[in-house]
Amino acid sequence: MMFSKSAHRLAGRLVVGCTASLVAVVALAAAQWSMQPKESKLTFVGEQAGAKFEGSFDKFTADIAFDADNLAASRFDVKIDTASVNTQDGERDDTIKSADLFDVKRFPTAQYVADKFTAQGGNKYSATGKLTLRNVTKDVPIEFTFENKAGDAWLKGTAKIKRLDFGVGQGEWKDTSTVGNDVQVRFALRLKGTS
Amino acid sequence: MQLKNDESRYGVVAQFFHWTIVVLIIVQFILANRAADLPLGPAKIGVLAQHKSVGITILGLALLRLIWRWLNPVPAEPLDIPQWQRIAARVSHIGLYALLLITPMMGWLMSSARNFPVSWFGLVTLPDFIEPSRPAYDFLHETHELLALTLFGLALLHVAAALKHHFIDKDNVLRRMLPVKLKQERS
Repeated sequence: MMFSKSAHRLAGRLVVGCTASLVAVVALAAAQWSMQPKESKLTFVGEQAGAKFEGSFDKFTADIAFDADNLAASRFDVKIDTASVNTQDGERDDTIKSADLFDVKRFPTAQYVADKFTAQGGNKYSATGKLTLRNVTKDVPIEFTFENKAGDAWLKGTAKIKRLDFGVGQGEWKDTSTVGNDVQVRFALRLKGTS
Repeated sequence: MQLKNDESRYGVVAQFFHWTIVVLIIVQFILANRAADLPLGPAKIGVLAQHKSVGITILGLALLRLIWRWLNPVPAEPLDIPQWQRIAARVSHIGLYALLLITPMMGWLMSSARNFPVSWFGLVTLPDFIEPSRPAYDFLHETHELLALTLFGLALLHVAAALKHHFIDKDNVLRRMLPVKLKQERS
């Protein structure tokens, strides 16, 4: 009987211990989302000769771990194919891809990683992350909304960057009188829950 | 000199519209040719920005000019002009007005078609009435150039006719559009 009593106690401890670690693991991981590329958009608004124009990136991936109840464990990791830039004008796209601007041969990928999130009330959030473009890494804050309807979510937001902070504009393109320094980035990601 | 037209000459307002548009059209040809020689870069974008701003200015001035012309009838033509010349003058004036309106409009549309929206001197951004499209851009670009060349040709004809009136017919057709008084050497 002694043996069985201690075995029972051991089993009980194991159950408690396992449950506790499982809770800890669940607490560490925020919900993983899978981005739906066809419905998701990553666009930007630049300025040429005083007029704004819109362009987009046709190829990018977003690894999104986000949980409104667990912002500490949330994380965005977005990789952008710089050569997929599309401003609906082939000549301008070729120019943007060239060495003085994106230099897509040397820097084919831009990356944005955010892991510090702040709730702003309702479904609004802000985050500070690091954008790496042309091998220059700088803090870039974003503002976004996260609307989740039973595992079907939209993540929509904006960021403001200055292109010259990342060296996008060498030589004559350093001039900001015809091509503005400010660029607004907009994203609308369609996400499906995976866990 | 009075602001309004009278029976014998154009007033200050009509002359201002006429000569300002003349100067701006010459500027437009210079800017367009300069832009055509440049590769895509800040310099070209800058020159085209000026070309677009001046073009929209011409469009605005041409509209105001037509309103003014409608409010304030033009001086009477000399009585001894043959009928065919009256018709030719009428047709070429209508053509010039039409080109002053349509040429900038095609330029505006062609900018939209290439997703390079038009800003008027960095102060106002004009709306885009068409979606970006390469075939539409190519068509509008050709049309814009063709209209500009037609405008150039018609303007030369207009100048030739004005000089003919002044030096051959020796009437007041040219003088009534001049801000300064030229001596009339009527034989």
